[in-house]
Amino acid sequence: MTLNHYLILSGILFTIGLVGVITRRNVIMILLSLEILLSAANLAFVAFSRALGDLSGQLMVFFVMIVAAAEVTVGLAIAVVLVRQTGKMGADELRGLKW
Amino acid sequence: MVTPSGWLLMLPELWISGLILLLLFLDLRWQGRPKSPLGLVSLFGLLSVIPILAWQSSLETQTLLGGMYRIDPLGLFFKWIFLGTAILVTLMARETASSSHPADRFGPDEGEFYLLILTASLGMFFVASAANFLMLFVALELITISFYVMTAYLKTNSNSLEAGLKYLILGSVASGFFLYGIAFLYGSTGSLSFDKIRITLQNLSSLPPTLLVGLLFILGGILFKGACVPFHLWVPDVYEGAPTPVTAFLSVGSKSAGFLVALRVLFEMFLPNRPQWAFLLALLAALTLLYGNLGAIPQKNIKRLLGYSSIGHAGYLLIGLAAAGNHLGATGICFYLAGYLVTNLAVFLVITAFSKQGGSDEMADYAGLSRRSPFLAAAMFLALLSLAGVPPLAGFFGKFLLLMSAVSEGYLWLALIGAAGVVISLYYYLLLVKTMYVDLPEDSAPIPVSVPVRIALIACMAGILGIGIWQGPFLNLSFAAVKNLF
Repeated sequence: MTLNHYLILSGILFTIGLVGVITRRNVIMILLSLEILLSAANLAFVAFSRALGDLSGQLMVFFVMIVAAAEVTVGLAIAVVLVRQTGKMGADELRGLKW
Repeated sequence: MVTPSGWLLMLPELWISGLILLLLFLDLRWQGRPKSPLGLVSLFGLLSVIPILAWQSSLETQTLLGGMYRIDPLGLFFKWIFLGTAILVTLMARETASSSHPADRFGPDEGEFYLLILTASLGMFFVASAANFLMLFVALELITISFYVMTAYLKTNSNSLEAGLKYLILGSVASGFFLYGIAFLYGSTGSLSFDKIRITLQNLSSLPPTLLVGLLFILGGILFKGACVPFHLWVPDVYEGAPTPVTAFLSVGSKSAGFLVALRVLFEMFLPNRPQWAFLLALLAALTLLYGNLGAIPQKNIKRLLGYSSIGHAGYLLIGLAAAGNHLGATGICFYLAGYLVTNLAVFLVITAFSKQGGSDEMADYAGLSRRSPFLAAAMFLALLSLAGVPPLAGFFGKFLLLMSAVSEGYLWLALIGAAGVVISLYYYLLLVKTMYVDLPEDSAPIPVSVPVRIALIACMAGILGIGIWQGPFLNLSFAAVKNLF
């Protein structure tokens, strides 16, 4: 396994996350795709960190994990309030504001 | 007098952190009691940051925390902008909290709202002083996560919730882009520190593909914060759905933070390689200008209109980034943002005062405002003219500097599009002026304006006229802020 293998895997994960956010219509699935997106960046950080022999990339990953947890917490909280308010979970139902 | 050094350099951030803890404690302590005194605590806490910043204002560049935190003229300039925004937004939140619309009121959650304004401001202060991508990323996330919560704050209003969710999804994607870009930048330069990256990049004749990919991804994150095409889709929806103080905070605070990061990344690190990115930014500036100004024409909701106009203003700021070869562009960005602060917040103060008395955000409701409250109408008139860029107001000179910078870099076509944008924006701003001054009101009851709002509006109007007429000192300040970048 060389650096390039990890980077290709991270690129694939990033694409999966991005496509998931765009195509999925369920809020939970969108939040899940966002997590994959951030994990892709984490993998790239760790791979670069190992290749460079420098620890600051791995340090960054810890902070990113905390930030991702905070983000998804807020996202789930908003989703819960939204379901209570409208009774629906799909992103298609969000049409109050016109594009 | 003691010169700040060591931890004292971080006094503004430490002060705001202390204020956050105090507010958290008081909010829990005063369970079941009215929370409006917390707004006063927060307001006076923020006002007392003014002397601290003034005390630090003459400092030379210094670093702290192993190079993570840096105090420099550019950061200090933006801290003044962030502080001014936070003070005025706290004031608006106090007004909105006592609104006559039950759907707009924060109710028992009022205390936490002031807390979130403070956490977002803390994030902005750290963005201004970050000298390492780790610090920068965490600070930016502190801002955005506070904004997600504030946007979705009206739990009974489905528009607010929808805006919050949309902002969260698109904002997290933008964070993902930004982070992925940092990973590539780190992989190719071997460091997260701004200084080390700058030195590595200076020795490169042209950017290798990995660095170019990294720069493009980072730009994606920045353009999202600044509300620029092609990362602008969230702007109109979120501006319309969010509570008015949050919209005001987003339009000035969040946008300034985005452009501050852009100045840091593009000018501090990538300046030697500007032939590879300047044209892309010029193209995006043109698209942003056209999209924002043309999209604003058919709008009926005033907050949505301001959302599109905010995209248009981001276009002018992008011109300054594209014209990276000289000082004019960067100076123009700082000057423009200072003018934008007083101008745009004046508009939002009027909207807050108007909707407090039961007025909706529909533009038709503003009919006959000049008869109901001549003061509010006059303030709105002056601010709209400044937004459009009519001399001798603050908005004019900022636009003038940015268009000049485009011409001197050889982007004459971009300057012409910018000038066309001024004409288009004048059309839709003057439509609103016509509604306020010519149309007859349905309900002619006068609109009372509370004393704090009156004071803030007079200060903003003084700022609009002052920055516009005595440009000299403000121009010198803006120039002093950016001269270390080159």
